Amino acid sequence: MRENSAGQRYFGLKKAFKFLQSMQFAITLLGILAVYCMVASFVTQGKSLAWYAETYSERTAGLILALGLDDAFHSPFFVAVSAFLCLNLMLCNLVRVPSLVKRFRTAEDTRIKFGMWGAWLCHLGVLLLILGFGLGQATKKEYTVYGVAGTTRDVGNTGCALTIDSFDVSLREDDTVEQYTAELTMRNLATGQSASGTASVNNPASLLGFKCYQNSTGWAADVHVQKNGEPLQDEVIYAGEAISVKDKPALEIWLSAFYPDYVLDPVKGPVSASSSLNNPAYLYMVYFEDQMIGMNALMADEKLTIDEYTVTFDNPRNYSLIQVKEDHFQMLALMGGLVLMLGLVLAFYVKPHPEAE
Amino acid sequence: MSSQSFSGIENVLFTCAMLCYFLAMVLYFIFIAAKKEKFARIAFFVQAGGFAVHTVALVVRGIGAGRLPMTNQYEFATSFAWGLSLVSLIFVWKYKFQVLGAFSTPVIFLIIGYAAMQSRDVLELMPALRSNWLGFHVSTAIIAYGAFGVSFALGIIYLLRDRLGSFLDAHIPSSARLDQIAYRSVSLGLLFLTFTIVTGAIWAERAWGSYWSWDPKETWSLITWIIYMLYLHMRMRRGLKGRAAAIFAIIGFICVLFTYIGVNTFLPGIHSYA
Ligand code: HEM
Repeated sequence: MRENSAGQRYFGLKKAFKFLQSMQFAITLLGILAVYCMVASFVTQGKSLAWYAETYSERTAGLILALGLDDAFHSPFFVAVSAFLCLNLMLCNLVRVPSLVKRFRTAEDTRIKFGMWGAWLCHLGVLLLILGFGLGQATKKEYTVYGVAGTTRDVGNTGCALTIDSFDVSLREDDTVEQYTAELTMRNLATGQSASGTASVNNPASLLGFKCYQNSTGWAADVHVQKNGEPLQDEVIYAGEAISVKDKPALEIWLSAFYPDYVLDPVKGPVSASSSLNNPAYLYMVYFEDQMIGMNALMADEKLTIDEYTVTFDNPRNYSLIQVKEDHFQMLALMGGLVLMLGLVLAFYVKPHPEAE
Repeated sequence: MSSQSFSGIENVLFTCAMLCYFLAMVLYFIFIAAKKEKFARIAFFVQAGGFAVHTVALVVRGIGAGRLPMTNQYEFATSFAWGLSLVSLIFVWKYKFQVLGAFSTPVIFLIIGYAAMQSRDVLELMPALRSNWLGFHVSTAIIAYGAFGVSFALGIIYLLRDRLGSFLDAHIPSSARLDQIAYRSVSLGLLFLTFTIVTGAIWAERAWGSYWSWDPKETWSLITWIIYMLYLHMRMRRGLKGRAAAIFAIIGFICVLFTYIGVNTFLPGIHSYA
């Protein structure tokens, strides 16, 4: 009796194994993935229940959250299907090794000898791709560092600091941007080790194991605060950010926007006619104890006076936003892609297809 | 030469190519309606002539712009029609299969017509688009899409063959052979689609710092890729050759078109400027 059930279990396991490595299972998983991706592509990602309820119906919103479609490509369901696909690919490839090796030894025709590894390499490539991407997603680290030339900031809590040595925006004659280029230096604060390089769009810099991408840009300026005519504070201020007045922290000066070539359009309001510094204007807001007490545009030589304080802006310039990344598995994914391409070439163009000619 | 004279020449050549494709399509239709093989032969040469003119138009645009003409909706649409024309000419010639021309020229004409409706201004490129990887990415996409367009036409022929009458039936290879030709075009397309996705990922990594971001255009190219992978695997299972494969080839090309046009129109994403 007991022996019988052990035997059944053995056959059960064998059956399960057969299914897990079967092409039928692969087709099912790929079909599920295709349909899931289609549905997910129509759902805006990363919103709240309230947002989905407003956009769709209450019930659809509940369904979206229950299925994890609000973060479709990290949902447990998606991860599980991908994991099963990996298992399937791995088992199917392992099972096929002995017969492939045997045929490799016996086949005479070199096209058959090598061509029959095509599908096997495709499967290996996809497996490496999924693993490389998945492990990368789980372990990669990303930081942003922004600043005008001369700024040094810590790169998260990595113990490294990045300096933006210089930043250049080159324009074409028609005022469109040709390239953004930042010269960078990365320093390991503990060891003192450092590396320098250039990052421009499409050409990241690799510094001390980090990859640094020139990601975007914006405007910054110097802000000067005087108290009763005496200098009190000089700082860099970035468009969209604020400074607190040194001896009166409840008083905040915001630089809401900067216009290098300011014009007041009757319809659109304040706009910049070009990106050249022809007529710089600083749109500021003043807050005191979280209450807005003033807002206006200040031209280059104008002053803003708040009681005993005088505020001026000057030296407008572009700042650079650098994205700093560490992904140790990127190479694995790239290798997967290359192996996959090699496999496809072997499967389609090296392996003979006698019926097709 | 000024950029205006380049675009003047390009406009003339583009219009000529479009007219040739239209004429080739009409000649193929006459071949079917009048049951005269002569028209199919003329149609092939008219299409080939259109293709030559089309090639020159693209080269002129490339010289005028000082870069590969593959970066905005107009440029990609006209290149897409070019790729489809190239692959269909090769398949018609290689497999001596004129009926295929009758089914592919309408698709070519539709796509080049879509191109004609787009703005032809030559714009300077934003820095992210100025990359050799982008060149590889788009040129492989053009071949992939062309090959998928041909397998779409083959799928339609496969499904319609019983209703096409005896004249056409005599000009269509056997169903098994048709299925093999479709398999050749899908495998060509799939190989190039894989190149497209890999080179696109390499470019995205360099330009945006992330090689795969699940942007809708990326997601849809993955869906397309999976559909054709399903086609390949299902084809290897007995009983699913032929009809099922033909249906998958048709669905696959609908996904291609959605990836190309639908995503830009219906879904938001970083690719939407292209
Ligand atoms: C995303 C996943 C997959 C990709 C990209 C892929 C790709 C391929 C390719 C390109 C071929 C060769 C087709 C041909 O030569 O006609 C192939 C064949 C095959 N695939 Fe897959 N496959 C995948 C998943 C799977 C899985 C999970 C299995 C599981 C068993 C599987 C089983 C097979 C088998 C048995 C063959 C035929 C092998 C041969 O004839 O030598 N595939 N696959």
